[in-house]
Amino acid sequence: MESAITEKRRMVDNIAISYTGIFDTEILSVLAKEIEGTLSPDDKVNKKVFKIFIELAQNIAFYSLERETNAEGNDTGVGTMIIRNYSDHYVFSTGNKTTMENIIPVMEKCDNINSMSREKLREYRRLQRNMPAGEKGGGNIGLIQVALTASNPLEYSLIKCPDGAYFYIVSVRIDKE
Amino acid sequence: MELEDIVIEGSHKNFFTPSVNFNAKTGICELSGESFLEDTQEFYKPLIDWLEEYTTKIKKPIAFLIKLTYFNTSTSRCILDLLNVLKDYEDDGGDVTVNWHYDENDSDMEEDIEDYMIDTGLNINIIPF
Repeated sequence: MESAITEKRRMVDNIAISYTGIFDTEILSVLAKEIEGTLSPDDKVNKKVFKIFIELAQNIAFYSLERETNAEGNDTGVGTMIIRNYSDHYVFSTGNKTTMENIIPVMEKCDNINSMSREKLREYRRLQRNMPAGEKGGGNIGLIQVALTASNPLEYSLIKCPDGAYFYIVSVRIDKE
Repeated sequence: MELEDIVIEGSHKNFFTPSVNFNAKTGICELSGESFLEDTQEFYKPLIDWLEEYTTKIKKPIAFLIKLTYFNTSTSRCILDLLNVLKDYEDDGGDVTVNWHYDENDSDMEEDIEDYMIDTGLNINIIPF
């Protein structure tokens, strides 16, 4: 019991940046500045986190089931982003509401990406890049790019919400060098 | 027939606009800075059209210089489109040079450039700075 509390405590203590709300461009730029400028003293690591942030934040903006209209009248996705800072790595997580039918292909894509070597992933990215962009985000390449940038597997989980929707969380570890 | 130069000053605001300098007289075309745009297609379509115009009507040598330090994945598709126009021109007998400058600490970027070479079949001079 004691250690479970300590463990949870540590998870909270390690939060470097967290945000929940609308993922419009205004917020994106505030969060991006925060990541680029202040997260780590190592520019290379900041850039990796930043690249991952852009792709995953855009996925929330485009695909989150929960939506709001921002000040400019644009319909934008709502979600959560958390960056945790540990001694030798960061963990970057995003979460958003979704439906089971929309998220199953995304989870399958994550499994597929995780099963590939770096060489295979680069090949897969080339293949996807040559396909016409089906939807506005080009979400297919985004996840591949996240895995390549982090050089670590994509971890995901799904939580059932009281309203019948699902909350999808994707996390990736970024090693400090 | 006159092809107008494209000059766009880059910015780093809510979105990141790359700097563009396409010169019809010298054939030197430069794309630099960072690319993360609200509407990527809308931004790159005129650049692709310009290159098509240059390579089918003006048909002089072209030196394409890329100095992007960051681009998101939707930009990556547009870069492929630009390079494919240059490859078509080269296959057509056009004189094409592509120089891609990148930060030598950015090994991801180096991989990216190598993958573009495989994809397009273009010879890209990879130049670390």
